[in-house]
Amino acid sequence: MVFILGVNFPERNLLKKSLETFFGVGGHTSSRLLARFNIHPTCRVGELANKQVLDLTAVLSDMKIENDLRREVLNDIKRLKETGTYRGRRHALGLPVRGQRTRTQIKTPVKLNRMERRL
Amino acid sequence: MASSWCWSCLSRLRAPSTPRAILPPQSITPRLTTASFHSSAVQYANPTKKKGALVAVKYRQGQTLRRKKKKTTERARPPAVGERKALRKRIVLSNPNALEVEGMQDLSSETMIDARLRGSVLGLPVPMLDQLRAVQAFKPKQGWSIFRRPATVLRRDTLEMARLFEKISGEGDAAEKGKVVKKIITGLKGSGKTVHLLQAMAMGFLKKWVVVTVPDARELVSGDTSYSPIEGTNPPQYVQPNAVSALLMRTVEANRQVLSGLKVSQKHTGLPSLKPSSTLEDLAKLGFQDAAVAWPVFQALWTELTATAAAPGMEKDFKARPPMLVTVDGIAHWMKESAYRASDFTPVHAHDLVFVKHFLSLLQNGQASLKNGGMVLYATSTSNNPSIYTLEVALDQLAARQAGTSPSSPEYPSPEAYSGADARVLDLFKPTTGKEPQFELQTLGGLTRDEARGYLEYFARSGLLREEVNETWVGEKWSLSGGGIIGELEKLGRHVRTAAQTTPVLN
Amino acid sequence: MARPTSNGLVQAFQALRLHSSSTSRPVTRCLARQTRTYATEVEGQPSALETQEQAPAAPEIDFTNFARRPARIVPASPSYFSGSPRFIDHVLQLEQLQAKYASLPTVAAGDAPRMAWFKLAQFRDYVGEPVPMKKYKSLVKILQRLNRIQPEMVPGEVRNTLEEFLRPGNPYAVQHVPRTVDENGRARAKGKRKESTAVVQLVEGEGEVLVNGKSLVEAFQRVHDRESALWALRCTQRLDKYNAWITVRGGGVTGQAEAITLAIGRALLLHEPALKPVLRKAGVITVDARRVERKKPGHVKARKMPTWVKR
Repeated sequence: MVFILGVNFPERNLLKKSLETFFGVGGHTSSRLLARFNIHPTCRVGELANKQVLDLTAVLSDMKIENDLRREVLNDIKRLKETGTYRGRRHALGLPVRGQRTRTQIKTPVKLNRMERRL
Repeated sequence: MASSWCWSCLSRLRAPSTPRAILPPQSITPRLTTASFHSSAVQYANPTKKKGALVAVKYRQGQTLRRKKKKTTERARPPAVGERKALRKRIVLSNPNALEVEGMQDLSSETMIDARLRGSVLGLPVPMLDQLRAVQAFKPKQGWSIFRRPATVLRRDTLEMARLFEKISGEGDAAEKGKVVKKIITGLKGSGKTVHLLQAMAMGFLKKWVVVTVPDARELVSGDTSYSPIEGTNPPQYVQPNAVSALLMRTVEANRQVLSGLKVSQKHTGLPSLKPSSTLEDLAKLGFQDAAVAWPVFQALWTELTATAAAPGMEKDFKARPPMLVTVDGIAHWMKESAYRASDFTPVHAHDLVFVKHFLSLLQNGQASLKNGGMVLYATSTSNNPSIYTLEVALDQLAARQAGTSPSSPEYPSPEAYSGADARVLDLFKPTTGKEPQFELQTLGGLTRDEARGYLEYFARSGLLREEVNETWVGEKWSLSGGGIIGELEKLGRHVRTAAQTTPVLN
Repeated sequence: MARPTSNGLVQAFQALRLHSSSTSRPVTRCLARQTRTYATEVEGQPSALETQEQAPAAPEIDFTNFARRPARIVPASPSYFSGSPRFIDHVLQLEQLQAKYASLPTVAAGDAPRMAWFKLAQFRDYVGEPVPMKKYKSLVKILQRLNRIQPEMVPGEVRNTLEEFLRPGNPYAVQHVPRTVDENGRARAKGKRKESTAVVQLVEGEGEVLVNGKSLVEAFQRVHDRESALWALRCTQRLDKYNAWITVRGGGVTGQAEAITLAIGRALLLHEPALKPVLRKAGVITVDARRVERKKPGHVKARKMPTWVKR
């Protein structure tokens, strides 16, 4: 088990996938992170040297991810609602925000856009 | 509901004498105690429960439809980690059901240069198989598993190569001891490029050479092993410690006998833990115990193996180093950008990996590097192969040079404008300068008819082929296999039952 | 052109004058006879009645020549106002000829000389009218009937008319030259199957085959296709006696392989015609003329109809 940013990952897991479990780290960021520390793309968590783990943790802790990012997103939505914009209203109504059609295929906004936005 | 009647023969009629029409319903009839004509289980089965109205509804019981939940089916456990890959990579070298071919000779220093044996199949010596396995000379799906023991055809190219081995080892009549022969082996799919390398390795082991192989060039560029930049190099070079350590392991495993007989003869400042009296085997072992020093260890091993004389003060038990055989399979993978990324996320060219660079540099300065002589065989591959335009052009240029076209003539092939040809690849294949011998392009074609006959006879004698192997039959198979392409011949040899019958239409 | 017409005019006037004088004379004579019967023997004294009678008569109207232009231009052909006058003229002319010479003896259709009539497109060019296929067929029918007149007795008129309808050049005069092996020992033959076309050059050799410059293995990955491509050589056991240089285009792998089969079979026949029964029996030189049936409008595929839905 390896701790990266306080999260425990099993050694067999792919490092790239493990990094992507953080909220705010996707394929784009994770592959650049790997390249930055010269870690090959198919590296497993267990293969990491201690220094690499520390490096990764240091970089990740500087990034705005997880709860910080969540809070920022929620604040942005809240601001939209409070200023009474159209987008804020759409968020509150559980409808698509960016001008999509509402006749069909709005499952995701229905699921996510609430008064209390879920993330 | 299964009927208790056998409607086809109405056998139930026999037992009771009552007419069918007034036969009581089945639930009331006593179950038969003796076996009737039919012994089917149907009659002995418990009477099926009636559904629907007949089932009495209990007091205060709900009448709603009760559906059974979907049964969770027991799933077999997934195979253990690495099991599937092991199965995929498994190499079976023997088939106890195949017949032993009587009178088959083994590959040896004498038989491999015997022109009389051309076209016959020579078995690989059994003690050598472990060495060959160690250098991963065998590939899965090469059809080793259908014969009793691994064996290869002695074809023209094999004989020529064997003579080179002889010359470089300093035996033969025209000894060219210490010479380096560099070849790039191409050919159609199934033309035996990898097996040609295998034969080279086998000969190398027979002649007590040091055999260094890269069985799959792809593994080094596919981003599957760790890499790290070397400090102070510009453009940055990358070392792959795990791959180097695996190479050392392969080399030691296969050449243990040779390496353990050779003592360290140079001073290696980068390896403080090395004792002066240790053998080369011990030196290499340092590398695969600690991957971090694998690359310096490999460099040290290389200098030791290519040394012509000992460093001052270490001449005590210096033995002449044997020639080296270097083989790489699938060099096309090394002619493009690898799957690795530099820190700024730009792709790393394969030539920036020191491991790859070291082996590729042997084409340009093989003689300078391999001072004790040897052979450098780099084969292209046609399976799981990237298509690289620049390599095609470079090989065309090489073929043109070999045919005598001068690089300044208009017929000399050159990459098309705007094709984005890779200058580094073209540079690699430019003619060598100075005393350095040129590298050659060897294109493996098909077997000749006689060789094909010997090969197919081997199938017949192994009990795989039940046809009469004669001139016309072999000629036919030779044509069908595109002019004796050995992989196709193998398919024809083993699929002989499914092939259409040859109808002797002519009387 | 001017002279003949003026001549004609002059002649016409003369004729008119002559005519009028000749007609006027008998009239006066008979009138004179009448006067002799009724009048006394007095002669040379013309009576008032006679002077009245001798006033010049108006000339007769010649209906063949109009002094002035007619009110409207009369077309040369009576079929001018039909849709395709020239075509109809041709048909009428031919029908007239057919009727005229209907009594001449004829030969059987097979014995009549072979004539290459205009193709429909050529005929349309010739008459410059969009003639429908069906109408042209009826015209050709008349042509063929006229062509069946016994050759020795064909009137010149008919012969000339028929020649008008012949294609330029005579395709039937070209003699069919049987293909042979050329001076370099090559036999060239073509074969088709499905959408593929194969051209084979077969020379005597030792069994090497190149398909589009590639080896057989590269061209056909499946053993079955390779076998079917070389089936002609294989079933005659000539596989190691000929080299084949093949170009094949179009279609898929199977079609290409079987097009090669046919082409090699035909090329082999040029080398060894005696193999024909063998090859025929092996089904190598039998042309498989099946092609993919076209899709039709209203159908889902070539034959399949959409599911029938009530209402």
